[in-house]
Amino acid sequence: MLSLIELQCRPWLNGLELLEDLQRNKHTLSTGDKGTDSLLQGGFREGQLTELVGPSSSGKTQFCMQAAASVAENHLGRVLYLDTGNSFSARRIAQFICSSSDATLGQKVMSRISFHTVYDIYTMFDTLQGLEVTLRSQMNVNEYRLRLLVVDSISSLITPILGGSGSQGRALMVAIGYLLKKLAHEHSIAILVTNHTVGAGGEGGKTKPALGETWKSIPHVRLLQSRDHKNSNCTISILKHTSMPSGQTVKTMTRKENQQCL
Amino acid sequence: MGEEEARSWIRGDETAKQMLSRVLKDRAFMLLPPLHRVPLRAGNVVEITGASPSAKTQILIQAAISCILPKTWNGIHYGGLGKLVLFLDLDCRFDVLRLSQMLKHRLLQANRLGNGAWWQLEESNVKSCKAAQEKSKTVFDEELYVSCMKRFLYVRCYDSLELLSSLKTLHYRIRQQEACGSQVGVLMIDSIGAFHWTDRLSSSLALETHNRKSLSLTNVVETIVQELKKLLQVHSLVVLATKATIYEEKYPALENNRKFSSNDDYSGNAAIKAQQPLIREFMPSSWQVIF
Repeated sequence: MLSLIELQCRPWLNGLELLEDLQRNKHTLSTGDKGTDSLLQGGFREGQLTELVGPSSSGKTQFCMQAAASVAENHLGRVLYLDTGNSFSARRIAQFICSSSDATLGQKVMSRISFHTVYDIYTMFDTLQGLEVTLRSQMNVNEYRLRLLVVDSISSLITPILGGSGSQGRALMVAIGYLLKKLAHEHSIAILVTNHTVGAGGEGGKTKPALGETWKSIPHVRLLQSRDHKNSNCTISILKHTSMPSGQTVKTMTRKENQQCL
Repeated sequence: MGEEEARSWIRGDETAKQMLSRVLKDRAFMLLPPLHRVPLRAGNVVEITGASPSAKTQILIQAAISCILPKTWNGIHYGGLGKLVLFLDLDCRFDVLRLSQMLKHRLLQANRLGNGAWWQLEESNVKSCKAAQEKSKTVFDEELYVSCMKRFLYVRCYDSLELLSSLKTLHYRIRQQEACGSQVGVLMIDSIGAFHWTDRLSSSLALETHNRKSLSLTNVVETIVQELKKLLQVHSLVVLATKATIYEEKYPALENNRKFSSNDDYSGNAAIKAQQPLIREFMPSSWQVIF
């Protein structure tokens, strides 16, 4: 009887095997911006859930699109972009791709980015579970495997169901967080989600990330983005990271249309 | 005949001194930095609670390193316990890179202390650290690093069912490890309250199944507590569990109709901003009595 349970439950790994798996399967993906790469010591790590928090119009969607373009181009990986607020723009992504001068190559890169709109959390569950089944049933690892999953504004999916003292909303939030982490770890995908900020109660002027206290322990890495409207500079700082101290910041500039690639 | 039996029954098996020496040997005090001020003995369960970014997993990693390091190796004193660490990751956020960074740092530090006098290290801490580090770049023992990393066992669980199945097979695995000669020192559970919300939801949505017990929150926690108690009776290990607070800190002026079960030492003046935030207890009572 015990052996049956043993077959079901997960195997115990030792520290060395964990390290090997990390070095072999989980690479670092560049975010498309040199400053952020140096802040994160390389970029997004596959297998981790990165959250980008910022007030509205602070450049979160631009960051997401830049990251998607960079992964599709430099790392030869597929990108799945789940948009909840109709803010995706294919033209802007094309601007981020450096080799858009070469039409066929640019087209190939663009074809590696797939895009879905998701408007509520149940569709999200469906999409993610369908993705899990597809990933698990892929026998051969073709050269364009899925490397990055972007969910632009997961907070707009979750905030409508959170509320009151019932546990359904929070349970769904935790469930989707765990589903994302499981996808990330088992299939070596980097996941980027965005979140907005709300005012901290009673203090006036200070803001904190939305989605509450329970969500704080779900992402691996939390980044805070703020924008200085006078000179369109963005500042990204680390709120929380699994292996780096928080509080480090870096200033980035949004790329204009005709700027040269780095 | 009966008299003989009664006499042997009254006589007792061992004296108090013998019993004390046996217990102290089997269940000795463990001093794990950073918890070395807390005298832990095998059989103790420790819960570490705090709000989200408050270094709880960091404490666990540090304690794990003190546990997996050997006492001495190649003449250098490391001061560890040399026992296995079982890490049950319910949060699924453990970063093995952090563990390996800290282990390497500890090994380097101990190497420098072993080769040079310890007061040189003190001096270099006072003066610029960089210069001293560059001078004494000793290579740490690769073999020792590998053997330490092998003593760290890790499993992650994505929901309560997996957690329960891991706990039930834990006893068997510990027996397997002991057969290979290594002893288990600490069982660490990262974030015991991780499945709190999903279990609450499943208990409220439970269908009527007549034969099996449904997977509700109280059932799950009771089973976890039962399994832990069984483990603690049979093996001599310490359980360290972290718990993240899932209710936000509310200042006492705003909070009036909920029951508190934790300490709160506010001065009584609600206008003072620097007050201790209240930590609400959310685990069911069966967990709270295990300490």
